[in-house]
Amino acid sequence: MPVSYIEAIRTGLAEEMRRDERVYLIGEDIGVDGGAFKATQGLIEEFGPQRVIDSPLAEGVIVSSSIGAAMMGMRPVAEIQFVDFITPAMDAITQQAAKLRYRSAGTQTCPLTVRVCYGGGTGGGLYHSQTNTTWFAHEPGLIVVAPATVADAKGMLKASIRQDDPVLYFEHKRLYRTIKEDLPEGNDFIADLFHAAVRREGKDATLVTYGYMLQVALQAAEKVGQETGATIEVIDLRVLNPLDRDTILNSVAKTNRLCILQEDHRTLGIGSEISAIVAEDAFDCLDAPILRVAAPDVPAIPAAEPMEQFYMPNVEKTCAALHKLLQY
Amino acid sequence: MATKVKESAAVATASSKNGGSLISDDKLKQLYATMLKCRLLEEKALGLKKMARFKGNYYAAVGQEAAVVGAAIDLRPEDAVAPSHRDFITNFIKGVPLDAMFSQLYGRVTSPDKGRCAPAHCGYAPLNIITPSSTIAAQLNIGTGIALANKMLKNDNIVVAFSGDGSTSLGFWHEALNFSGVHDLPIVFVCQNNLWAESVPLRLQTKVEDISLKAQAYGFPGITVDGNDVVAMYRVAHEAIQRARNGGGPTLIEAKTYRWYGHSSIDPAKYRAPEEVEEWKAKDPIAAMERYLTQRNLFTPAWKQQMNESFGKELDEAVDFAEKSPQVEPIECLDHVYSFDIRGRELDRKTRTPKYQK
Repeated sequence: MPVSYIEAIRTGLAEEMRRDERVYLIGEDIGVDGGAFKATQGLIEEFGPQRVIDSPLAEGVIVSSSIGAAMMGMRPVAEIQFVDFITPAMDAITQQAAKLRYRSAGTQTCPLTVRVCYGGGTGGGLYHSQTNTTWFAHEPGLIVVAPATVADAKGMLKASIRQDDPVLYFEHKRLYRTIKEDLPEGNDFIADLFHAAVRREGKDATLVTYGYMLQVALQAAEKVGQETGATIEVIDLRVLNPLDRDTILNSVAKTNRLCILQEDHRTLGIGSEISAIVAEDAFDCLDAPILRVAAPDVPAIPAAEPMEQFYMPNVEKTCAALHKLLQY
Repeated sequence: MATKVKESAAVATASSKNGGSLISDDKLKQLYATMLKCRLLEEKALGLKKMARFKGNYYAAVGQEAAVVGAAIDLRPEDAVAPSHRDFITNFIKGVPLDAMFSQLYGRVTSPDKGRCAPAHCGYAPLNIITPSSTIAAQLNIGTGIALANKMLKNDNIVVAFSGDGSTSLGFWHEALNFSGVHDLPIVFVCQNNLWAESVPLRLQTKVEDISLKAQAYGFPGITVDGNDVVAMYRVAHEAIQRARNGGGPTLIEAKTYRWYGHSSIDPAKYRAPEEVEEWKAKDPIAAMERYLTQRNLFTPAWKQQMNESFGKELDEAVDFAEKSPQVEPIECLDHVYSFDIRGRELDRKTRTPKYQK
C-alpha cells in the first residue's frame, strides 16, 4: 500500500525508537499535539513523555541539550518546527554540533539528528516558508540531507539516526501529503547517506536539484523532452553536505550541459558550489554555460500569492532555462 | 528561594555541637593543597605565556581558586564538567594528567585535542570534561543535555556547569537553567561572579545585585556564596551535588569572587581601579585558608614549602614533556571532521565520496 512522505517519517521514527531505546525525540508540540504537521502523531502514546519530549519554546536548548545527550551515547532526534525558527539554534548547530568532534580530536562526538521542516509555496509568508539549506551545507562537520522521495524520507531518516555524526534532515512541508509511494520490501531498510541519485536518465542535458524541486524538475524534463525530443538527466542531490561530486561530474561528462534548480535564493547557494565544481573539474566537458534556476535574492518569501509565485522556481521557469541550455 | 551564605569559613565549619568541623581535617587540607596547586599551575602557565613559550592566549582564574576547587574537588570520574574558557584548572582538579594539560597549552600531538583548541580551552573525554568552545554559555546547554541523558539512563552521575557573570546576559544561560528546572535535572550551575566580563562591570551586565536571584525564575534554589571562602564553597557545592545526585534537581551557586589578572594574558585590565584589585588581593582565598588551617593546627610552613617544591617539580616535568612532544602533522588538519575520513576527498579530487558506514 502506498504511504505518504509524512507517514514514512513517522514510521521511520517509530521503528528506530523500537529498535534502539537510546533514540528519543525532542521538539515543540511534538508530544501530545503530535507535531505541527503531525509527523510524530501517536508516538507519545507508544513511547511516553520521557522519549517524546515536548520541549520549552526554545530552539537553542532543543538542539544543544541534544548535543550533550548524544555525547553520552543517546540518539536524540530534535525537531525544528520551521527552518525559519532555527536561528536561535545556530550556535548549537554550527559552533557546537559541527565542531565538537573536530575540537576534541574525535574523542567527543554528537550523533544527533535534527529534523528541519522547510520550504515555500504554501502561502506561509516570510517566516514559514524559508529554505536556508545553504547555511548548513557551508558547515563542515554537519551532514545535510534533503530527501525528495518517500523511500528516502524513511530510509535516510533511519540512516541519519544511526550515523555517528550530526545530521540535519531537511523535510519539505509540501511533500508531506502530496507524494505517496510503495516502500521497498521489508520494514527495516536504511538508505545511503552519501550519494546523489539519477532519477531520470538522459543524454542531452543534466538538471541537478533536491527536495521538493525534484517534482518540478521531473515535470520540466518530461515537458522539454516532449517539446524538443531531447532527453534530460535529472539528478536528485539527496545529500547537500558533503556533496557527491562524482555523480554530477559523471552526468555532465555524458550530457555536456548543466542546469541547477534550487528553491533557495541564488547567491552562494548549492547551485553556486556545483557550478564551481563543474567549472573546475569538468570544464572541458561543457558545451554551454551553466545555468541556475533559483529564487531571487530577496530576504524571504512574501505571503501574497502573486509575489510568492514570482519567487518560487517552477516548471515554467525551469523549462525556459532548459530550452536556453539546449539551444546554446 | 535565593539565600545568602555570608558567614566566614571559621563560622561555617564550627557549627557542630563539639565546635569541630563537619568536614574532615584531611578534606580541609586537600582543599588548601588543591587551591595552592591550581595557583602554581596557572602562574606557571602565565609565566610561559609571557616568555612566548606557547602561542595564543591564556585565561587565568587566579584569585578564583576557591570557587572552582570547592565545587569540583569531590566529583567522580563519571560526573561531567562543563567548563568555560577560564576553567582550565577544572581539568587538574578532576585528575587530568599535567602532561596532557601542558601539551594542550602548547598545542602538541600529546594534547587531548591534538592541537586544535586555543590554550586553556581544554576538555578531556575519559573524565567527562566537555571540550569547550569560546562562544559564551554554550557549555551550559551541552551540560544540560548530559544531565538529561544521565536522568534517562537512571544513573546518579551529575554535571557541574561553570559560567561567569557575563554569560548570564545570554539567552543560552537562561535556556539551560529553564530546561534544567522543568526537567529537575541533576546539574549544578556554578556562576563565578568576578564582577567583570572582560572590561564590562557587573552593573552593566545585570540590574540585580545577586545573580543567585535568577534561579527563582526557574523554580530551583539559588545561593550566593563567598567565592573566596573554599570551605563555604565546598559545603554549599557538596549539598547541591548531593541534591542533584538524589534526584532533587538543579541548584545555582553564585560564587562572588575576583580575577586578579586581565580577561586574558594580553589584557592589562586598565579598566579596573588599582584599589579594587588590591582590596580583592587582600581577600586571597589561599591566604585565608592558610590562616584558617593554622588556627586549627593543620598548617605548617614546611608543608607548604614541600608542596611548592614537589609540585613545582611536577610542573617543570610537564612543561618539559610538552616542549619535547612532537608538533602535529599538518595533514591532521583534515582529521576528525566526520566519523569517516575526508583526506582522500580533499586531497584527490577523483576520490569524491565517502563510503557509507553502518
